Amino acid sequence: MSSLARLFARCGVNALRVLLLSTVLLGVTSAQAPEDLPAGAGDAAGWNFDDEEEEAVPTLLDLASEQAVDIGLFVAFATLAMVSFLRKSVPLKYVTLVAAVLYMGVYKSQLISIVNVFGVLGGGAAAANAGLSGEEPVTAAAIGAALTSSLPPFAYSLAWYAFAIFTVVTTIVWGRVYCGRICAFGALTQLLDAVVPKRFQIEIPAALERRASYVKYGILFGAIGLYFATREIAFYRYIEPFWLFTFDATPVLWIMVGVLLVASIFVRNLYCRFLCPLGAALGLVSKATTVLPIKRWSECSQCALCEKTCEWGAIRERQILKTECVRCDDCEILYDDKERCPHWLLELKRKARAAEAPGAQLR
Amino acid sequence: MKTFSSRAAALAAAFALLVSSAGAQTGSDAALTAQLKKLFPNAASFSERTGSPAHYKAFGPGGDGDLLGLAYWTTELEPLERGFDGPIKMLVGLDPSGEITGVIVTDHREPYGYFSVDLPEWPKQFEGKSIRDAFKVGADVDAISRATITVQSASRAIRNASRKIARAHLAPPQPQAQTAGSPTAAAAAE
Repeated sequence: MSSLARLFARCGVNALRVLLLSTVLLGVTSAQAPEDLPAGAGDAAGWNFDDEEEEAVPTLLDLASEQAVDIGLFVAFATLAMVSFLRKSVPLKYVTLVAAVLYMGVYKSQLISIVNVFGVLGGGAAAANAGLSGEEPVTAAAIGAALTSSLPPFAYSLAWYAFAIFTVVTTIVWGRVYCGRICAFGALTQLLDAVVPKRFQIEIPAALERRASYVKYGILFGAIGLYFATREIAFYRYIEPFWLFTFDATPVLWIMVGVLLVASIFVRNLYCRFLCPLGAALGLVSKATTVLPIKRWSECSQCALCEKTCEWGAIRERQILKTECVRCDDCEILYDDKERCPHWLLELKRKARAAEAPGAQLR
Repeated sequence: MKTFSSRAAALAAAFALLVSSAGAQTGSDAALTAQLKKLFPNAASFSERTGSPAHYKAFGPGGDGDLLGLAYWTTELEPLERGFDGPIKMLVGLDPSGEITGVIVTDHREPYGYFSVDLPEWPKQFEGKSIRDAFKVGADVDAISRATITVQSASRAIRNASRKIARAHLAPPQPQAQTAGSPTAAAAAE
């Protein structure tokens, strides 16, 4: 497991490299573009094309200003999500979840998907292939081109790259923040969970929950295997319900997602916890990295209050399972609750005892 | 650990290469001719893939002198254009006056393709379109919300590939365009 985790950690780092290289590459290729044109009949001017994007390559700034609305909306949403996360605000978290469904889901409908995992891995494989072929001199540009070959063109997809970088960086720094508040489907089932009466919900036994949480890794590695075997991605809609927000699918898919949503009423966040291959991939990245994990009190080794509170089955005795944790804030809010968390109650007791103690008067 | 992951990557890469090279040979000549025929229904014959940038020539009943137009793969002319998961392979037909006769989307792995470039209406909108047009998504090319990156990349690829072909292989519309061309062109546009 740890070797796989490390492999995935490397993929995370690779994704960052891809982004860096793609910026460099963009400069290189755009500089070469005019020379690609053969001299031809020498009548290039005769066609008199108006806005020659191939000749007068627009600067990154021009392209950024064209995409300003898209970028601005994403930055606003990401800011909302991060403010709600860093301030541990419950009302803001629900605002974020509603915004995630409406903006990331219905309006944009471009969530991070298993397809992007294929893109990063496929690019990595192509780059390794270019590096190992040994036929031509291997240049950084060739490796970069191979790495980014299955990701959208950088300069024209700035908002998407902002989104992808945000996802990778937050996962490396805090964990599966993406799953907890950015993903529109996760947000939808969390909102569902908030409105469904508690008596409908089934508490799954811990042993079953633990086993079920491994299913998503099976789906992840199965999907990656299938991708490399067939180079076909059309099956992705059968393992990810994110197409839901496009409202465009075959009857079979509608039945599948209907069953999934009905099941989610009884078992909260069923898809995220047990089935999502992207969540599994982010969980592996998070397990290997997480720069700022959740703090624990020394008393956490005996008390199991937060283990019971965690709706994601991410706390097992004294450990927080980074692969399952989506940084929902529930346990962190509990730690700060001076009336409920035993840490503070014990602290109070200690102080009171110190005050009652005979030696206390001397101080 | 390092050797494990690098071996795994090498193995995956080797396997990927094998599969992709096998897949590349499946496109048969008959299928290609059928596709070219779709772009140029009146053509009597087609040339082999020739020239630089590479293209197929479509000839009318008059034989070699009767050029109906050129067809070319966008992926060969604009290799850097791509959607979410690699290039969108399209065969484009262009008549000698710079009008697109048709677009056939032959191969793509776009996750958002099923409600954008996969639909028959999408390539259809380029029929009869002049390569002088802007090809701006949302203006003269239909915007499809939620598939912006896919559609923009495919539109840019069609336009830029066609312009490269026109500049290299087609004579500009009229030599007298320099004198009388621009006013009439402006009038025609209105």
